[in-house]
Amino acid sequence: MLILQALGFGVVSAALIAIGAMGFTLQFGLTNVLNISYGGVMTVGAFAAFGAGELHLPMALEVAAAPLAAALLTWLLGRTLFAFYARRGAGVFEMVMVTLAVSLILQYGIDAASGEQIYRFSFPQGASLHAGVFTFTVTQLVLVALALAVFGGLEFLLRRTRLGKALRAMAVEPRLARTCGIPTGKIVNVVWLLSGALAGLAGLGYVINSLTIDASVGTGFLPLVLAAAILGRAGSTRGAVLAALLLGLVTEEVAAAGGAEYSTVAGFGILAIVLLTRPAALAGQATAKAEITV
Amino acid sequence: MSFYASTLIVYFFVDVLLAWALNLQFGWGGIPNFALIMFQAAGAYAAAVVSLGPDTGVNSFQRYVFGASLPFPLPLVIAALTGGLLAAVAGSFSLRRMRRDYQAAILLIVSLIAIQVVSNAVGLLNGSNGLTGVPRPLSGLLSGLTYDGYQWVYAAWAGAIALAVYLLVARLGRSTWGRALRAVRDDEDAAATIGLNPLGLRMQAFVLGGVIAGLSGGLLVEFLAAWSPAAWGYAETFAVFTAIILGGVGNIWGVALGTLLVQVIFLQVPTFLPQVGYTGLIDALQWVLIGTLWLVCLAIRPRGLIPARRYHAVPPAPGPGTGNPR
Repeated sequence: MLILQALGFGVVSAALIAIGAMGFTLQFGLTNVLNISYGGVMTVGAFAAFGAGELHLPMALEVAAAPLAAALLTWLLGRTLFAFYARRGAGVFEMVMVTLAVSLILQYGIDAASGEQIYRFSFPQGASLHAGVFTFTVTQLVLVALALAVFGGLEFLLRRTRLGKALRAMAVEPRLARTCGIPTGKIVNVVWLLSGALAGLAGLGYVINSLTIDASVGTGFLPLVLAAAILGRAGSTRGAVLAALLLGLVTEEVAAAGGAEYSTVAGFGILAIVLLTRPAALAGQATAKAEITV
Repeated sequence: MSFYASTLIVYFFVDVLLAWALNLQFGWGGIPNFALIMFQAAGAYAAAVVSLGPDTGVNSFQRYVFGASLPFPLPLVIAALTGGLLAAVAGSFSLRRMRRDYQAAILLIVSLIAIQVVSNAVGLLNGSNGLTGVPRPLSGLLSGLTYDGYQWVYAAWAGAIALAVYLLVARLGRSTWGRALRAVRDDEDAAATIGLNPLGLRMQAFVLGGVIAGLSGGLLVEFLAAWSPAAWGYAETFAVFTAIILGGVGNIWGVALGTLLVQVIFLQVPTFLPQVGYTGLIDALQWVLIGTLWLVCLAIRPRGLIPARRYHAVPPAPGPGTGNPR
């Protein structure tokens, strides 16, 4: 019974992880920057919505504040700071250190600004709906629908539009794409903005679901998002969604079975097992020469 | 004043052990160990639970799994072994050949999840409140000393351990093993071609680094008498990376200099300043500054203050009397 109910929670968790992981993997697949500051950006998005809520702005603005603030911040970081170090020849590891530094600055900057407090995040949850053993609130269903809409939208963008085609070409072979006249600068802009917007949405969804907000929400959520993106292969939105579903279900099932404190470990256990048993699944992407394109 | 000085000296020796552990793993082995602080924490928790005595329930706020009161220096030995054991486990899935940013991300995830588990599983190591009342070693034997005197004895003891580890890593760095490790770091395929075992060498460096990090944790917890999840956030690992890269990755003395500048002067000295704002404001701002320091350091001096000597595979310019290519 409990185990079955946990499937429902698992789907909601998976939706949140998937939104975050899709934004992460899209950007990572194209630019080859493993962006740890994504966690800090999720926090910034959540706090933007929280701030809008405190100012009693209409709910539409409150919801829009998160992706807007996060998209703008990510685009700025990508185009100025990350681009600066990439021009100076930073390798993939140096870029991780740069994004980690930004993550620290964001997390502890917010920490200092928010007075190290944990705040209540009030958001209407809507009526509880029952379907068999499952119980969802309207808001939870909206989050799941949002994840599906994002997935559908990205799939459409990547497979059916000229921009998506150019984006996929650039992810595989940036130099060739440039020579073929693809406006690579424009595509990088689109990717930073999209990835940031999704980070903001994921951060907002996370605090809507947990009802509390503090400076470490993004960093706390990052391990699962990262694990889903790595498990689902860099750049693959389908992979990210499948991996998120797996991680969401496993973490909630373990929590329901009585090991709430070990639920994230169980999620990570999957990643470890894949690394141990099927290193080849990751090897193809993992040892290829990566060119940083920001 | 004397109290501050002895405290800072102990911190320096503990931090330099950690920095040398990372230098071994990252500087020479090329493993971006973003879980470094977890190995120090493992050593600290291990030393704490084997010296705290059984969980008697006297202090009802403190709960932990394993209780023994082993005599000095056994807790330190157990701390080092725990660090090494955990490194063997983490290394089993994270040291395979993969891109370095993947490896860094996987180790970072391990570290972030470990801290969540220890914070939430209260019965294990007392959750986010951590363990307190860890007995100071030999306090019975040295009871004749003043508190200040004991601090200096401890500083000397930490210095002796640091010296021993220095002799070990300096020797390893010059040895055939050290050269093999750097060869694997620089070109895995070429190293494998001449018969080296990349995975094995990386594992050895990772475990040895874990042992040294665990030892540093044991040394720190016996000095501080307390340990909690607040002491091992991912920011601490980042500070060690900043220290060794600022000082000069791969160079033992450069790494020690970076540790002095970043870990002691930059991170510890401000804690003795008068309180500004609410509790924790200075800490938070320090991490913002550390992040900024790294960005500046990478922009203006990417190879560090004392760069490591380049090891040439072929003699540079063959001149008269070049017997030794190094």
